[in-house]
Amino acid sequence: MSRLAQLSDAELVRRCRTGESEAWNELVERYSRYVYAICTRGFRLSDEDAEDVFQDVFTRAFMRLETLRDDSAFRPWIAQLTRRRCLDAISGGGREQPLEEIAVEEGSSDLNEVEEAFAVREAVAGLSDACQDILDRFFAQDQSYRTISDELDIPAGTIASRIARCLRKLRDELEGRNEASEGSSG
Amino acid sequence: MVARSSRDSWDEAAGVAAQAQAISDRAVKLAQTDEKAWADALAVLREAEAGSDGDARRDFRLEQKLERAAAVPLEIAALGADAATLATLVGERGDGTYRGDASAAAALAAGGARAAAHLVRVNLGMGAEDPRLARAHASEQAANDAAARMLEH
Repeated sequence: MSRLAQLSDAELVRRCRTGESEAWNELVERYSRYVYAICTRGFRLSDEDAEDVFQDVFTRAFMRLETLRDDSAFRPWIAQLTRRRCLDAISGGGREQPLEEIAVEEGSSDLNEVEEAFAVREAVAGLSDACQDILDRFFAQDQSYRTISDELDIPAGTIASRIARCLRKLRDELEGRNEASEGSSG
Repeated sequence: MVARSSRDSWDEAAGVAAQAQAISDRAVKLAQTDEKAWADALAVLREAEAGSDGDARRDFRLEQKLERAAAVPLEIAALGADAATLATLVGERGDGTYRGDASAAAALAAGGARAAAHLVRVNLGMGAEDPRLARAHASEQAANDAAARMLEH
């Protein structure tokens, strides 16, 4: 993990304002999947439209970074920018869509899933490397206990317990984040 | 179900339940993939039976389809071993009220692993030295051992 990858959004935004291009690259890296997922999963844009919105969102975000009032609110800010640009793409593009359908999509379960998946991804990044690795192997790569055991050289009988403990840490991490965000918004 | 019911008494229960759900989801997908892989292999097999001997391209295609038809049950056998292992963990550490259910789950998983390993052997045919046969056998054995541990208590 790079040094910048460990910094908070607020710190990266602050560095962007001082002209540190690597900080901007890190923000793009951090949020590219998120923005793309909102486009494709939340608003069902075609790959081509999603590419256009993606480019436009990051260009606008860069140009308007000075208007962001709370540096720690980069994520909801870029999400809002993305949603608006997706709606523009839908209303102005090849696909005609009734307004009521757009309203439903804005609060759709797909969008919520994108938000949830991103929150989980962030929380996973807060775990130890060992936990990140074993969770990735089991849940993302669909590796069997035997394969994990062979590749990590740990007893097969302990894998399920290790995963369960890592999941508990992940839950604690997520709950901690939720409490922190509720505290900061209240 | 057993892991979910053990949440009050076992702090790993929720994490184990999540793994059980992931294994279950995977099993459903693999069963569908297996059906398709076997149907594909069967279609080429029938084509081969109806056609002339010495069609190298068709034989190559058939070999590929049979390889695929063996690869999927190989994954299912490994999944059966995982399910049996997880059921044993739940039976040993979870709420004792549901131990019988965990034993039944382990036995079913072992049965699934055994059936899948059999399909691997059938689909791979003659290649007795094939390492996939050993892997299928190891999964079958691991599932059997786990189930036996549960059922003997």
